[in-house]
Amino acid sequence: MLKTAVQEQLVPGDTLQAKWDFAQQAGYDAIELRGKGDFHFASRREELRQAHKDGVVMPTVCVDMLHFLGAFDEELRRDAVAQMKSQLTVIAEIGGVGAQTPASYGMFSRRLPPFEPPRTEEEDREVLLAGLTELGEHARSEGVTLFLEPLNRYEDHMVNRLGQAADLIRAVGLDSVRIGIDSYHMNIEETDPAAAIVAHADVIGHAQVSDSNRFQPGAGHLDWPAWLGALHTVGYDGHLALECRLTGDPVEAVRSVPAFLKRSGA
Amino acid sequence: MNSPLDLLDRPAPAAPADLTLRRGAARVLLDNWTGASTVPSRSLYPHQWSWDSAFVAVGLRHLSVRRAQRELESLLAAQWADGRVPHIVFNPALPHDAYFPSPDFWQSSTAGRTAGAPASVETSGIVQPPVHALAAWLVHRADPAESRRRGFLARVRPRLAAWHDYLLGRRDLGGGGLAAVVHPWEPGMDNSPGWDRALQRVEPSPPGTFRRADLDHGHPADRPTDLDYGRYVRLATEYREAGYDDRVVRHRFAVEDPAFNALLVVSELALAAMARELGLPGQPHTERAAGLTRALVDRLWDERAGLFRVRDLHTGEPVDERTVSGLIPLLVPQLPEEIVRRLRSTLTGPRFSAPATHLVPSYDLTGHAFDPTRYWRGPAWFNTAWLIERGLRTHGFQQDAERLRTGFLTEAGRSGFAEYVDPATGAARGTRHFSWTAALTLDLLSTDPEEAGP
Repeated sequence: MLKTAVQEQLVPGDTLQAKWDFAQQAGYDAIELRGKGDFHFASRREELRQAHKDGVVMPTVCVDMLHFLGAFDEELRRDAVAQMKSQLTVIAEIGGVGAQTPASYGMFSRRLPPFEPPRTEEEDREVLLAGLTELGEHARSEGVTLFLEPLNRYEDHMVNRLGQAADLIRAVGLDSVRIGIDSYHMNIEETDPAAAIVAHADVIGHAQVSDSNRFQPGAGHLDWPAWLGALHTVGYDGHLALECRLTGDPVEAVRSVPAFLKRSGA
Repeated sequence: MNSPLDLLDRPAPAAPADLTLRRGAARVLLDNWTGASTVPSRSLYPHQWSWDSAFVAVGLRHLSVRRAQRELESLLAAQWADGRVPHIVFNPALPHDAYFPSPDFWQSSTAGRTAGAPASVETSGIVQPPVHALAAWLVHRADPAESRRRGFLARVRPRLAAWHDYLLGRRDLGGGGLAAVVHPWEPGMDNSPGWDRALQRVEPSPPGTFRRADLDHGHPADRPTDLDYGRYVRLATEYREAGYDDRVVRHRFAVEDPAFNALLVVSELALAAMARELGLPGQPHTERAAGLTRALVDRLWDERAGLFRVRDLHTGEPVDERTVSGLIPLLVPQLPEEIVRRLRSTLTGPRFSAPATHLVPSYDLTGHAFDPTRYWRGPAWFNTAWLIERGLRTHGFQQDAERLRTGFLTEAGRSGFAEYVDPATGAARGTRHFSWTAALTLDLLSTDPEEAGP
């Protein structure tokens, strides 16, 4: 059976311990943390250590910033790499497995005006390979993994499909860089999401779930049994982390997901 | 004995099973999915085949109910106006020479126009065994809520009913209430010794007039001979030249096949269940199943041999060969008890018992034409094992069924989901990663055997 996790902001409760109580009661196996910029995640060290000590399971952190390792601006890019390094260090300190980031988010889309980005594809690739290598080496030294998340074409212009992420990861050549897949983006970008999982199984490290409309699983029309069946088939043993918007009563929506995923073959 | 409804309503809860085997089987189905249907094999069979799709749907329902539904819907979308469901639906994205006989050979959209072939999709003009209604019902049962949400049964039931009407109307060539097959490919057991005598009346097409595609990826020793292939081509050519019109063509090959008709019985029962589910009367279908069962026994049962025989409609005589087709009527719930008993002893006797694999050979192990490697002349196939396993459970032979189930799962895994295996050794033959072998593996792994009890 596949394990589930829920992002911390989706769960009611003032503390991680309170959120963990709710999450467990709802059937989740873990909490996915969110890592804000300005080293905010590192500033939570004491809170996170205490939560870890109290038994809160927190395997992963997902970046929560507005600039990323593929930023056009060099200064922002350097900051994003520095932030991710720090997040990798902190998640390692609390016994986690890794941190997830896209190449960029909301910076440029080839589907929206002005259509042509200021950098060439070759330059994009160079920038991404350099950033992924630096972060991968840092992750390896910390004993954790950097997860690169392909986003759909409207949110990022560089890495939209698993095949593109896999190509970069193979070029980097580090086990400490893997793909963090997301069912919502895959639904938009992949010809056959289940087949894409099978094709790139060797470089998949993490999975986030939301439905075709970005709402919680069960609120859209994804073929969950096929998607989850593919993860089973390749022996995926990480978590399915809920990262989504909520429709309906938010508490009930979050509560509904583990049972829905289980019924769909998780 | 189970009532027909019990048989069809059998639930399929999860059972503890070999994870590696399950993953392997699911992998084959994910790899062979093409977006709307599943190819039997990426290398050997690149299009959609009729009874393959039905068996695939039975397994796919455990992986994705939606895909299982699509599998059957995409096949039925190529149905002809006269009701026939073609044995191949060609993938328009592939070159015509990807398989022989190709769309250029069948010419369905032109030669079959009068018979009602679809204009926009190319198909073959012959059929395969009617497993589809059974498959559709099992797919529905796997997730009735999703089935209702998508209107699955409401859409497929009329097409399936028209399919059966075709078989029991235009294809009742013998006039005895059974469906006849008019080409050795139709019963799905292409080169079975059961057709040898009837085929001798057919002059083969000369070898230079066609090019086989099955030998590009298959070993000649595992496949039908060139001479047989020439006869297959001749029969299909004559059918095409008659516009695939069963009312005018003089079929030089016409036989009544036990497995084909047994599957029609079970599929009629499935249609009855579907009708009831949709608030329609099921009785016409149960009556038809009862009539078919009587005709099956009257026309094809051989008391002396202890199994069902093929009937050659040109001679009106049973064919003196023992093939796995004659055991598959075990699937029929309302078979007379004495016949069930005899079938079981034939199954466990020296002609069909392969102790090393626990599988069922496609032809009498002691028969004059037995060949352990050549397609339907001896090798054990997984779809027939699945049908017989189901039949054994239907009649309460749980231990026999369990032995067959275990043999199936062992050999399917060991052979890499082979198309067929040597019944004595389990050595893999034909193509590997074969879709129905994987699909039925998944079905046996996902169906709790204890649930099938009377």
